Amino acid sequence: MHKSLKRYFPVFAFPTLAAFTIGFFIPFVMGIYLSFCKFTTVTDARFIGFGNYLKVFTDKTFLHSLWYTVAFTIVSVVFINVLAFAVAMLLTKGIKGTNLFRTVFFMPNLIGGIVLGYIWQLLLNGILAQYQKTLTYNSVYGFWGLVILMCWQQIGYMMIIYISGIQNIPGELIEAAKIDGAKPAQILFHVTIPMVMPSITICTFLTLTNGFKLFDQNLALTNGEPSRMSELLALNIFNTFYGRTGYEGVGQAKAVVFFLLVTIIAIIQIRLTRTKEVQQ
Amino acid sequence: MEVKKVKHGWLLTVFFSLLTVAWVFPILLVVINSFKKKVYISRKPFEIPFGKMFVELENYVRGMEKIKFFDALKNSLFITICSVAVIILCTSMCAWYISRVKSAFSTAMYYLCLFSMIVPFQMVMFTLSKLANMLHLYSPIGIILVYLGFGAGLSVFMFCGFVRGIPLEIEEAAMIDGCTPIQTFFHVVFPILKPTCITVAILQTMWIWNDYLLPYLVLDIKRWKTIPIAIQYLKGGYGSVDMGAMMAMLVLAIIPIIIFYMFCQKYIIKGVVAGAVKG
Amino acid sequence: MKKKLVSILLIAALTAAAAAGCGNRDNNENAADDKNTSNQENEAVDNDNGGEDDLIQEVSGSVYYLNFKPEQAQQWKDLAEEYSDETGIPVTIETAASGTYESTLKSEMAKSEAPTLFQVNGPAGLAAWKDYCYDLKDSAVYKNLKSDDFALISDDGQVQGVAYVIETYGLIYNKEILEDYCETNGAKIKDVSEINSFAKLKEVADDMQAKKDELEIKGVFASAGMDSSSDWRYKTHLANMPIYFEYQDDDLDTTDAIKGTYLDAYKNMWDLYITDSTVEPTMLSGMTGEDAAAEFSMGEAAFYQNGTWVYNDIAGNDVDDEDMGMLPIYIGVGDEQNQGLCTGSENYWCVNKNASQDDIDATLHFMEWVITSDRGRETFRDEMGFVTPFETFTEEYQPENPLVAAANEYIDSGKNSIPWVFSTIPSEGWKNGVGSALLEYAQGTGDWDAVKKAFIEGWESEYRAVNE
Repeated sequence: MHKSLKRYFPVFAFPTLAAFTIGFFIPFVMGIYLSFCKFTTVTDARFIGFGNYLKVFTDKTFLHSLWYTVAFTIVSVVFINVLAFAVAMLLTKGIKGTNLFRTVFFMPNLIGGIVLGYIWQLLLNGILAQYQKTLTYNSVYGFWGLVILMCWQQIGYMMIIYISGIQNIPGELIEAAKIDGAKPAQILFHVTIPMVMPSITICTFLTLTNGFKLFDQNLALTNGEPSRMSELLALNIFNTFYGRTGYEGVGQAKAVVFFLLVTIIAIIQIRLTRTKEVQQ
Repeated sequence: MEVKKVKHGWLLTVFFSLLTVAWVFPILLVVINSFKKKVYISRKPFEIPFGKMFVELENYVRGMEKIKFFDALKNSLFITICSVAVIILCTSMCAWYISRVKSAFSTAMYYLCLFSMIVPFQMVMFTLSKLANMLHLYSPIGIILVYLGFGAGLSVFMFCGFVRGIPLEIEEAAMIDGCTPIQTFFHVVFPILKPTCITVAILQTMWIWNDYLLPYLVLDIKRWKTIPIAIQYLKGGYGSVDMGAMMAMLVLAIIPIIIFYMFCQKYIIKGVVAGAVKG
Repeated sequence: MKKKLVSILLIAALTAAAAAGCGNRDNNENAADDKNTSNQENEAVDNDNGGEDDLIQEVSGSVYYLNFKPEQAQQWKDLAEEYSDETGIPVTIETAASGTYESTLKSEMAKSEAPTLFQVNGPAGLAAWKDYCYDLKDSAVYKNLKSDDFALISDDGQVQGVAYVIETYGLIYNKEILEDYCETNGAKIKDVSEINSFAKLKEVADDMQAKKDELEIKGVFASAGMDSSSDWRYKTHLANMPIYFEYQDDDLDTTDAIKGTYLDAYKNMWDLYITDSTVEPTMLSGMTGEDAAAEFSMGEAAFYQNGTWVYNDIAGNDVDDEDMGMLPIYIGVGDEQNQGLCTGSENYWCVNKNASQDDIDATLHFMEWVITSDRGRETFRDEMGFVTPFETFTEEYQPENPLVAAANEYIDSGKNSIPWVFSTIPSEGWKNGVGSALLEYAQGTGDWDAVKKAFIEGWESEYRAVNE
C-alpha cells in the first residue's frame, strides 16, 4: 500500500504541492529576503541589510498602529468572548425560539468585511451625526466603531462554538454539583468554564488572530482616518507598500515584524489556555 | 439532549427577540436607504423614504450600471465555486498521501501547512502578487491556483486530522481486491471524507467569497472584479461616493449570502463547529 | 514673461468659449440635437476614416488609459467604446479612485500589461515618472497644442507631457441667495460685485450667517468636508493661494523650501469656511464632496469653493444655471481689486515609452482621434465639459457651462488669473499632512501650529524624500 501509493506522488500530492509552493512558500521566502533589500519591483532588489528594520521602528505611524492594534485586539477578544459565552449559556437553557435566535446571530459572519464596513459606517455615522460628530472625528470613535462591528460579526460564530462546548458537558456533572449544594456561580466557575476550556482556547485563538489581522473592515469603516490614527497594522503595512515609491522594503520589513508578532502571540496563547484545559 | 424548562423562560425569549431585531437592524437600515434619493442618505439615514426622498429602483439601476454588478457576481461565483472544488479535490488527495506515505517529506509538508495557517497575508502580499503577475495567474482561472496554494494549509490540516481516523484495513482490503490507489481513493476514502469535505467547503467558501485583498492584488481588476472589489470601487472610483448606488449594491451583495445561508444553514453551523474543534 | 503668455492664451481660449455659449442649456436637448446632426456628421467621419485607413491597418496594438478624473470615468468608457467600434483598436479605460492615482499608477505600471497612456499632475508629478515618458514631439496632440506652455518639456527638449484640459476654480456662489441677502435689512452690500476683497467677503459672510434663517440657508459656505473626496479643495486648491503669493514675492516658479509668508491669510480663510458653514466643524471629517455639492445645489449654502468641472454634479437640482456665479478666492493678500480666478491644468497626458511600439502607435492614434474627430470633440464639449488647449477645438467645440462663462467674464474684464502653482507641491504626502492638520485644527483636536509645521517643515522633508 505504502509503496504503491508512493509512486502516485504526481497525482496525489503534486498539484497541491506546486500550488502551495507558488501561492505560499516562494512568496514567503522571497518576502523574508526582500525585507533586507531596497526595491520597487521584485526584479530590482538590492541587499541593504537591516536598514528597513531601522526605519520600521522609527516610523511613528507604525508604532501608533501597533499599540492601536494591540488595544483593539485585547478589547475585542474580551468583549466578543464574554458576550458570546453569555449568549451561549442563555441559549442552551431551552427557551422558545432558540433556533431562530441562533440563526440570526450567526448570520453577520457570512457577510464580507468590506460590505460590513459600509453597513456600519452608515449606521454609526447616522447616530453620531445627532451629536455633531462622525466616525473619523478622532481615533477613539473609529476604535469603538470597529469593536462594535467586530462584536456584531463574530459573536454569532463564537456563540456556536461555545454552545457545542456547553452541550458536551455531561449532564450528571452539573447535577452532581447541584446535589453537593453548589451555587450557580460556583457551578459556572468550577464546572462549566473548566469543561468548555477547549472551546475557550479555540475562540480566543480565532478572535485574537482575527483582531490582529483585521484589514477589510478597517479599510471600509474608517480607512485609517483621521491622519492614519485609526489604522490597524495590516492597513498600515498595505499603505506603506503602496503609498510611496521607495518604501516597499520598509513595508516588507513591517510585514515580517507583523508575522513574528502574530506567531509569537498565537503560540503563547495556545500554551497558556491549553494548560488550563481539563484532561478528558 | 433534554434540558429542564427554566424559570422566566418567556422573559428571556422577549429579551432575545428584541436583541434579534437589533441584530438585523443594520441590514434593514441599508435596505431602507437603498430606496432613498442619494442626497438624503447621509443626512437623514433613519427616515423611511417617502415622497421626494423615494426613488424606487433608481439606485439599483445606477449602481448595477456603474460597477457592472452581474459581471462581478459572475466572477465571484466562478472563482468561489471553482476554487473550493479544486481545493477539496486536491487537498484531500494530498492529505491522504501525506498521511499514508510516511517520509520526511510528508512530515515537512504537514508542518508547513500548519505553519502557513498562522502567517498573515500581508507577509506574502507583495511577493505573491508579483509572482502571480509574472506567471500570468491574473485571470479568474489563474487565481484558483493561488487560492489552492494559499488555502492549502487549513484544508490539508483538517483532512489529515480526519484521514488518521480511518482504519487502514478498509483501504488495504480495496487494494487487495485489485484497486489502484486512485480507485481506492475515489471509491473508498473520498466517500468517508464527505463530512470533512463539507466543513472545508463551508470554511473556504466563507473566506473566498468575501476575500478582498488577495483578488484585488492578484486579479487583473480592469477585466475582472469580484463583488467586494466592485463595492470598494464605488467608494472612490467616481470621485465622490454615490451613497445611493452604494446602499443598493450592499443589498445586492448580501442577498446571495442570505440565500446560501438559508439553504445550507444546518451544514454551515455544523461545519463551523467541526472546523473549530479540529483547528 | 511665461506667465503673461499663458494668460494671453487663456484669454484667447476662454473668449472663444464665451462666444460659443449658445442657446440650449438642457443636456437632454443637446443630446437630441446631436442625434439629429449625427447623420450628416457620419459622412464626415467616414471621410476621415478613408484618409486614415492606412494608418489603422498598421496599428495592431491596444490602448490602456489610466484616467485621473473620476468625474468623467463613464464618459471616457463610452468614448473609448466608440473608438474601438470604429477602428477595431481595443481601448481599456480605468479610473483610479479619488486620491489614489499615484498608488494605482504605481501598481499598474509594475504589471505586465501596464497603462500605455497615463497622467501626471504637473512638474512635481512628472519627476517620479519622467523615465516612463515617450517623447511626444512628433505626435498630433503636441502639434495641435496652442502653445508650448501647455506641454511639459524637459531640459533636453523632449515633450514628456501634454495638457488636455484647462480648468478654473474659485468661489462658486448662488446669485439668488445673494440677491435676497442684498435686500435684507442692514445688508453690507447692494450687489455681489462689491465683494472684491477678503475683508468684504468676511463682513458679508458673517452677516449672512447671522441671517441664515431669514435667508433660508443652512450656512453661508457649503461644508468644507475633509473626506478624501473633498479635502483636496483645501489642502491643494486653497493652499495654492498662499503658495502663489509667496512665489510672487520671491519671484519663484517652484521651491525646495516654503516660508509660509501668507499662512495667516490661509488661516483666516479656513476659519471663515468652517465658522460660517452649514455644519459644525466636528462633522467635517466625514463630510464628502457629494455632501457639499448637494448642499449647494439644493440651495442650502450660498458659497461653494470648487471649479468648472463640478458643473455636472450641481446642475439639474434646485439651483438654476443662470443663478450660478463664480468669485475669486480672496484671502486678503496682493492686489485684490484685480484678482481673477484660478486657472490652469493638472491633467497632462503621458505615453508610456516602455509599452510596445504597436501599443504606442495605437495610443498616439487614439489621442489624435479624441482631439480631432467630431465624436471626440463633441464628448469633450457636451459630456465632459472640457476647455482644451488644442487648436482643433474651434469655437463650436467650446463647452457651454455657466461656470466657464463666469470664468470668461473675469478674463475679459482684464483681471489677473492665478496659475495653478499647487502642481509644484512636492508630494501627496505634503497635502495629506496639511489636510490632517487643517482638520484637527477645525475640530479643535489640534492647533494652528500643527498646520504651520505640516506646511513649512513638511514641504522640506517631503521635498527631500521625493528628490532623494
